[in-house]
Amino acid sequence: MRHIVSHSEFRLGFAEMLPACLGLVPFGLVTGVGAAAAGADFWGALGMSMIIFSGAAQILAAQLMAAHAPLAVVILTCFVAGLRFLMYSAAMAPYLRPLPPRWRNGLPFLLTDQAFAAAIRRFDATHHDPQAGAMHFLGGGLALWLCWQATNVCGFLAGNLIPASWSLDFAVPLCFVALVAPALVSWPTILAAVVAGALVLALAGMPMKLNLIVAGLAGIAAGTLADMAKERWSTR
Amino acid sequence: MVDTLTLWVVIVVVGVLNYLSRLSFVAFFANRQMPPLLARSLRYVPAAMLTALVLPMIVTAPDGTDHFASPRVVAAVVAGIVGFRTRRTLPTLVAGMATLYAIQWLLR
Repeated sequence: MRHIVSHSEFRLGFAEMLPACLGLVPFGLVTGVGAAAAGADFWGALGMSMIIFSGAAQILAAQLMAAHAPLAVVILTCFVAGLRFLMYSAAMAPYLRPLPPRWRNGLPFLLTDQAFAAAIRRFDATHHDPQAGAMHFLGGGLALWLCWQATNVCGFLAGNLIPASWSLDFAVPLCFVALVAPALVSWPTILAAVVAGALVLALAGMPMKLNLIVAGLAGIAAGTLADMAKERWSTR
Repeated sequence: MVDTLTLWVVIVVVGVLNYLSRLSFVAFFANRQMPPLLARSLRYVPAAMLTALVLPMIVTAPDGTDHFASPRVVAAVVAGIVGFRTRRTLPTLVAGMATLYAIQWLLR
């Protein structure tokens, strides 16, 4: 353990991730608030942030459980929201494959949107030295993980203390607005969001909160089809 | 509200599934290219899933009816514009909450 913490690449990765950690603070706080709003207890909220380690999946799980959706629906919906990790996994694979199995199988647990971006840059900068890159990734990933736990706990405590009249629960959708809005620059993405949004409201009567997953999948399909159509149109 | 056993089942199962998604191409499909159609559709997962998650939180009242002219909708639109412009979470959050508080204060 000691030789890891004293490794220069580990320290560099940790330090370089701190600005991204700062940017994650509001999202972590809000995720904690979401867990409190859904009625999770302290250990449950901490378990979500430590083990699931994904803001979108944690909030989805909290929302759906508070609405008494069946277990299978909660799990399926969170799984679809986490499918974007496949994308990162595929991109990271060439860098992680040369590592010993313990590292190769352990490091992806820390794979998040922020860690992914930093890791790709660093693996390229270290001329694909797998060990240096792995140490750097571990440092950055650990910084994010620790920051996520601290902010989730603070948010959970604040969510239980701050009176409902402050509308703190409204910060939860706002955080996701902050994530989605900048992405709405291409027509297929806009269509994906519009189709998903329209359907989730139109199908609100569906049992077991299935409207969320149906709307999400339809939005993904619409975006994909629009993307293909756009490509065909521009190559003609 | 949420019973402890259900919560922990969800934590463990979703945690494992998330981990397996993160591990997928590193470990299991190590020698395979991602199918192009899958790669293409994964790009639209965040926009679709997050919009489906967020819109009811903004539009739907606790009694299940939708309101498109509420303080929350106005605040969310303002936040959306700020988010689109700044691409940053904190200004988006501040703009949305400030707008909500301002409208609530005006309608007092």
